[in-house]
Amino acid sequence: MSIIYETRSQKIFKVFNYCILTLFGLSTIYPFYYFFILSFNDGLDAMKGGIYFLPRVFTLDNYFKAFQNPNIINSFSISIFRTVVGTLISLILTSILAYGLTKKDLPFRRGIIFYFFFTTVFSGGLIPFYILLRDLHLTKSIWIYIVPYLFVFLYMIIMRTFFEAIPIELSEAAIIDGCDDIQIYWKIYLPLSLPVMATIALFYGVMHWNDWFTGVFYVANKKMIPSSTLLQLLMTEATFEESGGAGHEMMGLRVSNTTPEALRMTFLVITTLPIVCVYPFFQKFFVKGVMVGSVKG
Amino acid sequence: MLDVKSQYNMMKIKPNKKSIWKRMWHYKFIYLFILPALIWYFIFMYVPMYGISLAFKELRFDKGYLGSPWVGTFYFMQFINYPDFWKLIYNTFAISGLKILFGFPAPIMLALMLNEIKKTSFKRVIQTVSYLPYFVSWVVVIALFSKFLTPNGGAVNDAKIALFGGEPIFFLNEKAFFYPLVILTDIWKNVGWSSIIYLAALSNVSLELYEAAMMDGAGKIKSMLHITLPSLAPTITIMFILTIGTLMRAGIDQIYLLQNPGVLDIAEILDTHVVKQGLIRGQYSYATAVGLFQSIVCLIIVMITNTVSKKVSDVSLW
Repeated sequence: MSIIYETRSQKIFKVFNYCILTLFGLSTIYPFYYFFILSFNDGLDAMKGGIYFLPRVFTLDNYFKAFQNPNIINSFSISIFRTVVGTLISLILTSILAYGLTKKDLPFRRGIIFYFFFTTVFSGGLIPFYILLRDLHLTKSIWIYIVPYLFVFLYMIIMRTFFEAIPIELSEAAIIDGCDDIQIYWKIYLPLSLPVMATIALFYGVMHWNDWFTGVFYVANKKMIPSSTLLQLLMTEATFEESGGAGHEMMGLRVSNTTPEALRMTFLVITTLPIVCVYPFFQKFFVKGVMVGSVKG
Repeated sequence: MLDVKSQYNMMKIKPNKKSIWKRMWHYKFIYLFILPALIWYFIFMYVPMYGISLAFKELRFDKGYLGSPWVGTFYFMQFINYPDFWKLIYNTFAISGLKILFGFPAPIMLALMLNEIKKTSFKRVIQTVSYLPYFVSWVVVIALFSKFLTPNGGAVNDAKIALFGGEPIFFLNEKAFFYPLVILTDIWKNVGWSSIIYLAALSNVSLELYEAAMMDGAGKIKSMLHITLPSLAPTITIMFILTIGTLMRAGIDQIYLLQNPGVLDIAEILDTHVVKQGLIRGQYSYATAVGLFQSIVCLIIVMITNTVSKKVSDVSLW
């Protein structure tokens, strides 16, 4: 083992590196933390400004108001529905597709892959897509949030690369035992694929949870919008009538100090918190997944 | 008479003599697995491509889509003669060009810096934290930035007044700040995630190379130039080709959310133009023509970049 001495300039570089990276790390967390503490702060008090590290006037009022608001509750149920159902369907369909494409001597395999790949370099554009959705009557149905978003080419490639790494001897042994492809997929590949399934589930899930565009432009019925769309609409609205404007008065008595701004913050925290809590657990999986999928794909 | 080894090798080669139909039947369940995707891609990807023909038709609701009259390049001409045509092109290329100029090297630098960190716990924490902006939506990102930059008690203005005095700056409304803001938010959101690929490539470089270089007296800079960057070159090239493909699409989510009357002059890009004229104002044929224009230029750019890359190095998308 060789001992490598650090020169003075190397030491300075190291300190510099750590400092910059720490600043960078803080810059990614602090904005979220800021909204987090503000959501626990009394709305009217927050308007005075100057809160940076801890809530000044702690209150759970904003959260109470948020969870009582029918629009917010409704949007969450839609978001949860589309994330759970959409992710599940996409996971199943993408994985069987990926498994199918691992068969190297499948007739027309190259054509089929090009058929999928081509859509990533050329597309029909926004308007034909929208017109199609309208003609399929999806714009009036809740399935508009799921059906047009079933497949992502990249995720299929990541899955396929993972499947290709599973030793072929396992399926050969299964064939000798008389299994057909469906059983091989179900009994062998699927149980071994937990890491990549978790990763792709995260990817599809985040895609569904964060999509605000569909609800704004493709959906006519504004009662049928997910939380991300509602958040966008709230952020651009000057007033938010349902919360009663600045503070809420009933019979001359202040019932709550939840301002529209406070409600926005609270809603943002509620919308963001699930993702923030979930993704670190998948980090090990998706780092490996992206690495494997892109190096080989 | 060939030697034993060659004879053995010859016996091992069994060409697949099955006819193509027999093989398809053998893989019948596989085709079943692929079928949903084939259908879905046909409906949601290829049918809209046919829908591009709408750009050449004048959509009449009474005649329906198929019966609408052919108007040829009428809407393309309308687009090219649109007063802000050149402004749209300029804005689109300026934004996506600047994003590539600053946003492409950023994850590489982050990966290089993280690669130098020996303390794995610190490295992992920074990595985890760096993905956070990627996983939230643009609505959240822009809400965060708006709150910090607002003249009414936003943290940045508070600090600025405390340190330098004067009036608060309306960052989001000022043209001068718009492009920097677009680039900054884009980097903030994507740098952590994009660095994953580069870190993966870097982790494949054997440490012995660095040690050998150090023995030969190479400093940090020299070893980075001669070991690190060449190892990253294939990854960088592929990522670059993929990124260049976005030159025509400057980011509909982000730009649409950041637009306001104060900056509209430099903030209107092709994507937002399509959304506004098409989805909001219902000018379907016109918006389709604009979208087609975008898609074709995109395709050409990607094809050129891919060909150039194939000639210059071994690396290409196809």
